[in-house]
Amino acid sequence: MSADNSFALLDQDVWEDLVARFDGRMWAVARAFGLSAADAADAVQGAWLRLVESADTIRDPERIGAWLVTTTRHEAARLSRKARGEVVSDMDVPDTALPDPTAAVVDADFGRHVWRRLDLLGEPCRSLIRLYVLHPEARYAQIAIRLNLPVGSIGPTRARCMARLRALVEEEAR
Amino acid sequence: MREEYLLAALRMGVGADPVPENVSAAARAAFDLRVPGGVPARPVDLPVPPGTRSSPAAETAQPGVRRFSADGLVIDIETTVAGGRLEVAGQVSPAPGPDARVEVRTPHIAKVRVPSGTGHFAVAGLPPGWVSVVCHRPDHPPVFTRWIHVRG
Repeated sequence: MSADNSFALLDQDVWEDLVARFDGRMWAVARAFGLSAADAADAVQGAWLRLVESADTIRDPERIGAWLVTTTRHEAARLSRKARGEVVSDMDVPDTALPDPTAAVVDADFGRHVWRRLDLLGEPCRSLIRLYVLHPEARYAQIAIRLNLPVGSIGPTRARCMARLRALVEEEAR
Repeated sequence: MREEYLLAALRMGVGADPVPENVSAAARAAFDLRVPGGVPARPVDLPVPPGTRSSPAAETAQPGVRRFSADGLVIDIETTVAGGRLEVAGQVSPAPGPDARVEVRTPHIAKVRVPSGTGHFAVAGLPPGWVSVVCHRPDHPPVFTRWIHVRG
């Protein structure tokens, strides 16, 4: 398949439909890495630019959505590491033939389902995750004050609570 | 299931932190950045100078320098950010001739240069962020580099 043929698959209407369907998911994934709004915008834009440059390798247009989400995660992780001062290569790009199948869970309906599972968790998990989800810019210090917890415990508690929630959701899916 | 995906789904489930309109507009505009008929230049690891500790990150071979290659053409790009603006200098090898043009693009602006007799080019005053270089030669398809991300 030549680049021209691939772009024929991705005409302006198809492109705009992809944006309408996936830009919200891509943004949510980028922000889930704790990126600022500016960095998240860069990560999302990076994924679209990867689509521009990788069009000749796309064989299955049905997989583009999952690949866009996977690529956003990849770009967001890279920007996140860079923001921490790590030296990262910008040369590797996810294989268009191998999007992450679990990217399908990035969906509002699934999110509402997970909210119902969240109610099964006790405190402080329920309140901590709720705050963390609803206030992406909140600092651990602010969450600590709201929940009356030591600031040093917020990170580990959040990780533990998210792991429990994930286990709950995965257990149900089996 | 990745934690980031779970968190993203939770936010989407209640409409928290929706995607800003400028991000959607940039996504729509990216369609116009394609190079129909163009040949993508793939990244190439630069030789690490003797005495330099090897690293998986190609850019550490010569900080800020990246090499791309396709269709018999090598494009070296060096990026720096000074005073909040992005500068891009580079070289096309072999020198592509007087009728060639080098286009340095960001998603918002493109600047075109005639490469020197040795294939060198330079552009300043670009906004930091994503950047790509396209080499246009008569009787050849355009060769474009991967988009790279450069901040200060």
